[in-house]
Amino acid sequence: MSDARKVVIVPCSGIGKTYGTVSREAAYEVIEDLRPDETQLVALSMLVLGDEGARAAVDGSQTIAIDGCKLACASKMVRDSGGTVARSYAVLDAYRRHKAFKPAGIAELNEGGLQLAHALAEEIAGEIDILTRGEADNA
Amino acid sequence: MPELPQKKVGIIACSGEEMAEGTVTRLAALQVLESLRPDDTVTICLPLFLAGGEGDRAFARYYPTIAVDGCDRRCAARATEQFSGKPAASIVVTDVVREMGLEPPAGCRRLNDAGQAAVAETAGRVAGLVDELLDRRWSRRKGEFIDAEPIPVPVVPAAKTTAGCACGSGIPVQTVAIDGTPVTLVALPPLMEQLRDAGKTPSPETIHELLEQVALYNPIPAGEQDAYLAALTRTYAAFWGQLEAVV
Repeated sequence: MSDARKVVIVPCSGIGKTYGTVSREAAYEVIEDLRPDETQLVALSMLVLGDEGARAAVDGSQTIAIDGCKLACASKMVRDSGGTVARSYAVLDAYRRHKAFKPAGIAELNEGGLQLAHALAEEIAGEIDILTRGEADNA
Repeated sequence: MPELPQKKVGIIACSGEEMAEGTVTRLAALQVLESLRPDDTVTICLPLFLAGGEGDRAFARYYPTIAVDGCDRRCAARATEQFSGKPAASIVVTDVVREMGLEPPAGCRRLNDAGQAAVAETAGRVAGLVDELLDRRWSRRKGEFIDAEPIPVPVVPAAKTTAGCACGSGIPVQTVAIDGTPVTLVALPPLMEQLRDAGKTPSPETIHELLEQVALYNPIPAGEQDAYLAALTRTYAAFWGQLEAVV
């Protein structure tokens, strides 16, 4: 799949809380393991700085934002950069859906955090399939 | 200057998710915040300069700040300067890696050995800078050092202590109407709390004292002192009234 048609994943940049780490772990699992050919990751810091490449990536693609807290920086920055959030995920909501996986740890997630990230990544992969199928149908 | 929250150093990591060096910045910042200098440092997520409020944008003016970047695009340093205040110091991981002769870090999710070594070295340098910055006088009004000395970049040994999250360090702000125009004043809530705790009633003397303190953290345009005094009089009286009502 060409970069232009890949689904862009923008995770939270938070460094102080567990949910931020879960958002990144889920994003990495999607782009490295589950849907490597259909996705690309864009760093929030590049959007903050207004990097042209990062802005172009979110502007021309379907974007999935993964937010670590209610401030929803990832979703906001995608919109502020001219992109459209095809779907946003909040890690806290994911935890509510998967209460068995209690996350802990920031630099290193506990087993619950890894399981929660995996569950979230699977949900996102499913959404990517829907988005890319829609793209193919419209092509 | 009033004793507001203890002087701390702000640390802002680029956290660049698309490259291993970004992971190095995040883990190095965490190491400083949680283990090396937990009592002397705070952090804020870089996107909050745009996605957050005035208190978040005041961060680098309020705290002397160290930007920790993964590469020479220096997103953290440039965005901090653009949206908050000029960082007091800056470290770039690719420079650290080159200076130490390390292999390139790899593995955004799980850093390789070179990446782990880069984390330790970067964290040590940041901790050293924290110590340097704490020794110098910082003007929260201007967001710069009062004495303009160059900052060396030393390496200091680590002193492990209790870990603790330092996220969410936006500066307390309050928006007041000045001549009918909403103006957000950085640090007003803790300043009023301090006066209240000292038992100072909303007298003209107290309001002048409050204005002097507000002016340490906020630029007051020439000729608008009286308007600020009037606004602070109303605001502090309301604040004091809430206290009376509670008591």
